[in-house]
Amino acid sequence: MAELKEIERKLKEVEKLIRAENNWEPVGHTPMPEVASLRNWDMRLLKTYEPFYAPFCDLCCLCTYGKCDLTEGRRGACGIDIKAQQARMVLLACLIGCSCHTAHGAHILDYLIAKHGADKKIDMGRMIEVEAPNIRTVVGLKPENLGDLKIAIEYVYKEITHLLDSIHTGQEGSYLDFESKALHVGMLDHVGMEAADIAQIVGFGYPTSVAETPMVDMGWATIDRTKPMILVVGHNPATSAEITDYLRANDLYDKVEVGGICCTALETTRYSDRAKVVGPLSRQLFFLRTGIADVIMTDEQCIRADMPEEASKAGSVLIATLDKAMYGLEDATEMPTDEIVKQMTEEKKHFAILDPGKAAEVAVKTAMKIASQRKKEWVTEEEAKELAKKCNNCGMCERVCPNLISIGEGITEVAKGNFDLLKKQFNQCIGCGKCEQDCPFEVPIFKIMQTGASMESWKIRAGRGPIMDTEIRNVGASITLGTIPGVVALVGCSNYPDIEDIAEMVEEFAKRKYIVVLSGCAAMAAGMKNDADGKNIYEKYPPDFDGGGVVNVGSCVANAHITGAAIKVVNIFAKLPLRGNYEVVADHTLNRLGAVGVAWGAYSQKAASIATGCNRLGIPVILGPHSSKYRRLFLSKKEADDWQVMDARSKQTINTGEPSPEHLVNVCETKEKCMVMIPKLCIRKNDTPQGRAIKLNHYISLYKKYMGNGLPDDLHLFVRRDADVPIVYKKEVRKYLKEIGWTAKESVGLPTLIGTYKSKVPVDSVIQS
Amino acid sequence: MSATLPFHRVNVLTGTKSAREIEDAAEYVKLIKKAKRPLLVLGPLLIEGAIDGKSLMEYALEIAKRADIPICATAHVSGKLSELGVKPDSEYDIMEIINALQHPDWMGVKKEGNHDLVIFFGIRSDLGEQGLSTLKHFAPHLKTMTLCKYYFPNANFSLPNIRKDEKWKEFLETLISNL
Repeated sequence: MAELKEIERKLKEVEKLIRAENNWEPVGHTPMPEVASLRNWDMRLLKTYEPFYAPFCDLCCLCTYGKCDLTEGRRGACGIDIKAQQARMVLLACLIGCSCHTAHGAHILDYLIAKHGADKKIDMGRMIEVEAPNIRTVVGLKPENLGDLKIAIEYVYKEITHLLDSIHTGQEGSYLDFESKALHVGMLDHVGMEAADIAQIVGFGYPTSVAETPMVDMGWATIDRTKPMILVVGHNPATSAEITDYLRANDLYDKVEVGGICCTALETTRYSDRAKVVGPLSRQLFFLRTGIADVIMTDEQCIRADMPEEASKAGSVLIATLDKAMYGLEDATEMPTDEIVKQMTEEKKHFAILDPGKAAEVAVKTAMKIASQRKKEWVTEEEAKELAKKCNNCGMCERVCPNLISIGEGITEVAKGNFDLLKKQFNQCIGCGKCEQDCPFEVPIFKIMQTGASMESWKIRAGRGPIMDTEIRNVGASITLGTIPGVVALVGCSNYPDIEDIAEMVEEFAKRKYIVVLSGCAAMAAGMKNDADGKNIYEKYPPDFDGGGVVNVGSCVANAHITGAAIKVVNIFAKLPLRGNYEVVADHTLNRLGAVGVAWGAYSQKAASIATGCNRLGIPVILGPHSSKYRRLFLSKKEADDWQVMDARSKQTINTGEPSPEHLVNVCETKEKCMVMIPKLCIRKNDTPQGRAIKLNHYISLYKKYMGNGLPDDLHLFVRRDADVPIVYKKEVRKYLKEIGWTAKESVGLPTLIGTYKSKVPVDSVIQS
Repeated sequence: MSATLPFHRVNVLTGTKSAREIEDAAEYVKLIKKAKRPLLVLGPLLIEGAIDGKSLMEYALEIAKRADIPICATAHVSGKLSELGVKPDSEYDIMEIINALQHPDWMGVKKEGNHDLVIFFGIRSDLGEQGLSTLKHFAPHLKTMTLCKYYFPNANFSLPNIRKDEKWKEFLETLISNL
């Protein structure tokens, strides 16, 4: 009885927060879901996509009972086993990621509310009515102003606390429940990201309701070294927007260079197309060590922890602008501006300044004073050759390299005057600097590597934010029916086997008329390769969300627009309500929407969280080889798994035997394998025969291109009827199907998982009203 | 527990159970011959890799042929095998084959039952080490062995870190000739 009362009380609280009386859509079964609200959906997913663990460590070291050895079936002193321990660490990683995005959102909201007021209207432009698909679906709220976004953020904060609590020693003990919680936090992450980016679009006036955003300069060769230069690094645009405003207000725009690394670069160029993108995260340390930046400004996430030391080495000065990373520096927020500038100029002192406006003013004034005193010279090939002679190729650099590169071989080749190998290695380098740190002969590897660095410059299309409703209306049917073969989202960090992989993947799928969506460091890397005509993918392909389009949505938090686009298809094309209707929306995506994420260089906890959020929404994700260190994948056992669905129209349960999508998150070892996996993971049970034939055509043709002759050995699993066989390969495929004794499969009218597991959601909910 | 450090430091063992380091090819021969259903998993490093002009893929195929071991091609290895006129017994990516192997009731690439010895050759060392960790923890029904020139702590049997390719060549040639 008391329990029922508590449920009623919570429901009333939620109804009040989401203004349930506003009848824009009926409230679904799970507005503001709590930790266990969507657990049955998760368990259904995890039944087919069983968590796969690759423990990074045999031990648990989290409490003073330990260290506990968890090998050979042993449990820790608290009772935890190795699977639950891995899942626990995955949940922790996802929580870190979600916290980063959501706290970024909270910070930017506070800043923008102080600037514009909480009642600043959310207007995403005339092409966007479904302004916040993730928030509408998860929270059940249609946010109308900046103040409403705080409701979403505070909901996520509350859930994070509950989830973090479950990690404490002597709490959750089931790996499946830890994974359900990780899926929950992944979903929340997309709410936090969406709130953050909507706030930025509204508060900073970023592009929205437009595809053709400005092309901006990218690459360090675009920086004019004769001018003072301010480098912004991280993910939070408050300070860089203030810098732009200050430069504009003081007529200094042509006198100071502003460039960015990582997501702040993307944010800054959404605010000002005259700012420059230096490059992705993997270029951070290289660029710092060139000394080109006079003033370095850090905000949050993916910034080096040794930034003050690196700044000092290069003779640059540093301003830490957010409380999340203050580096032990003196907090000068209250100090007079001129005094800070004086100390930074004369003593080369670094400071923390937590007022964005003041930090911006100090940065500009300091950069203008110190630039002329500093040397900004690139090492020459002759100098590099001399420096390389100290290397005896002992192999220590290779031992410590996270990308396993034989750097010593590249350096010894430089000593002989051959720079080819080093140039290749520069593209594989993730820029951690461990090689130089461990070199017993103190070879200045990073300095020598400057000669391997490309002096090319590129263009990148500024991040455009959400996909327009009109675009969804145009392509919704084609994506759902399969005639646009899929949406490929290349996202995340730059921990690549080779940075050029991304441009090659984009090219391959844009050419094949997939919709290619990009964000974060991947959006930068994708543009860092020019063809023989000197054009990159942004110059070659249209910026539309349409077959053959290449779309840069923006920074990490703009990833919410990618899941948002999937959700909009459910709403705008399939006409299903979103409000508190997560299960139906996720079920639709899983069974009917051919979308796949590729986080080829995923390194951070944020990437783990974003991917896990995609997974709960039914979007599979492919990770690059380094990402096996995330410890957990969601893999099916192909045809041996449970591929039953319900036909929502006939209410019959049907065993399709079709592993689509085959995995929810998996690692591919090479770019070539990934190229073949992408079209396969775009296959959905709802594909029309025409759509399926198109998808299989790409699967077979990419298999032949990258894996040699013949046909994929699992092809028969994806051919339902003869009409699915692509025309180009008809003879060959029919012969193969005959040889293996393939038989046609029963057709499914409207495939859904709802009805195959315990859920409050009735099957009819998946049918368009 | 061995004190050997793997060549690549990203693979340093944080734990308690590490591979037996074996330098003598004869020991490998014994272990392979003892296995009832071995499997050879070939990775993409074999495509470009060579010792003294001889392709690593050739070594791998000779091992498979001499000991009649079925092949699983990972990544895009099947393309190279196809050029050489060889059809692998199965194609999986590395984590997919590891996933299949960890289930004791999986019937193996020949549908004759799961494998009892899995030999890895040519997988990038960080990914391979993670996959070996899965099998170390969750596949007590099988043993793992590596043929690359680095020490893999999460395997059951591993070569030591071999500095000179001649030594590695000698090991592989002795292994092949005694299988």
